[in-house]
Amino acid sequence: MQRLLGCVFLTAFFFSMIVSAGGAAEPGGSALPQLDSRTYPSQIFWLVVSFGLLYWLLKTKAIPRIADILETRQDRINADLDRAARLRAEAEAALKEHDRIVAQAQAEAQRRLREAQDRIAAEFARHQAQLDADLARKLQDAEARIAAAKRAALNEITSAAVELVQLASKRLAGLEIGAEEARAAVRKAASGGT
Amino acid sequence: MADPLQQFEIKKIVPIQIGTFDLSFTNSSLWMLVAVGAAYWVLIAGTRQHALVPGRLQSVVELTYEFVAGMVRDNAGKEGLRYFPLVFTLFLFILMGNMLGMLPVPFGFTFTSHIIVTFTLAMGVFIGVTVLGFLLHGAHFLHFFVPQGAPKVMLPLLVPIEILSYCVRPISLSVRLFVNMMAGHTMMKVFAGFIVSLFSFYAVPAIAPFAVTVALTGFEFAVAFLQAYIFTVLTCIYLHDAIHMH
Repeated sequence: MQRLLGCVFLTAFFFSMIVSAGGAAEPGGSALPQLDSRTYPSQIFWLVVSFGLLYWLLKTKAIPRIADILETRQDRINADLDRAARLRAEAEAALKEHDRIVAQAQAEAQRRLREAQDRIAAEFARHQAQLDADLARKLQDAEARIAAAKRAALNEITSAAVELVQLASKRLAGLEIGAEEARAAVRKAASGGT
Repeated sequence: MADPLQQFEIKKIVPIQIGTFDLSFTNSSLWMLVAVGAAYWVLIAGTRQHALVPGRLQSVVELTYEFVAGMVRDNAGKEGLRYFPLVFTLFLFILMGNMLGMLPVPFGFTFTSHIIVTFTLAMGVFIGVTVLGFLLHGAHFLHFFVPQGAPKVMLPLLVPIEILSYCVRPISLSVRLFVNMMAGHTMMKVFAGFIVSLFSFYAVPAIAPFAVTVALTGFEFAVAFLQAYIFTVLTCIYLHDAIHMH
């Protein structure tokens, strides 16, 4: 198809040649040089030659060169755009990764904090319980000591009262009362009897 | 005063006679080859650096390339890009012809100011596009001459008009370029001649034709580019018709 169009100019050339050959017979010398048909064959011939030459030069040499330059530039621009897009994607991925790591670290910190709180609370509870038990034991001991002291004091008072009863009976009534009898009398008096 | 039409004269440099045809190498042929050389040199010199960030000349080359490529894409569609080398050649050849014709050098010549040159180019485009249309669409391409949605009664009138307007394309295409180049160059020469003839009598009023010539020169550069652009853009539109029909 391309070759055909190139040939078409040759067709036009012959067509015009025929036209001009017809005109060449009549005498020229018109006032206007453009209408001097004797110059037509030469003009058409050299037009076809130079046009064909330029067409060939452009088609085989110049146009591929220019197209190559433009294509190279376009490729370069596309490559740069691609690279920019890739770098952008990478940056976004890195940002996402960073966010993820920060979130993870925060979660970890939260977890450890909670763990520490739990541990401290447990420790505290344990100490509290120990302390409570300690105090309870000490209280019990103290109560037992108080009870023993009370008992001892009561016994002392009783024996003192027995002695007093024996002495009082001896001095006042001259009665010699046995320790057992006196103790019974004291106990009876202490429990509210006569 | 010099004849303003003298600049269009074809002068033989190397006479060549083949059969009944006079294929002499003339000033027109010379400037065609110069145009080819200049166009090729600019493209090759501009791309020599192969720079990623283009320099001045490379920018010119790239801008021209993308300008024409954009023109083909916008007017003929993506399929039209197959014919880009041909359109690019056409644009550069006409542009160089027009621009080199503006050079103030001895024996300067504008080969696009000759009807036979522009007509051959236009004929090439016309035949090429028509053949392409038939190759792509077969006989269906004839539907191109039937306007869509027109009442059937009107068709015997409309179809001949369509065919006529289609066949007139190479004429309008070639005459537009040729007349623009020729008229502009003639005007410049006429006013430039006024400067000389006035100056020998009244020096100061000669400023008027001088100013006009300056303005015309700038105008001619614009026309030189514009006509190359118009020729190419119309070629793209004709290509579009051949590829997509309506």
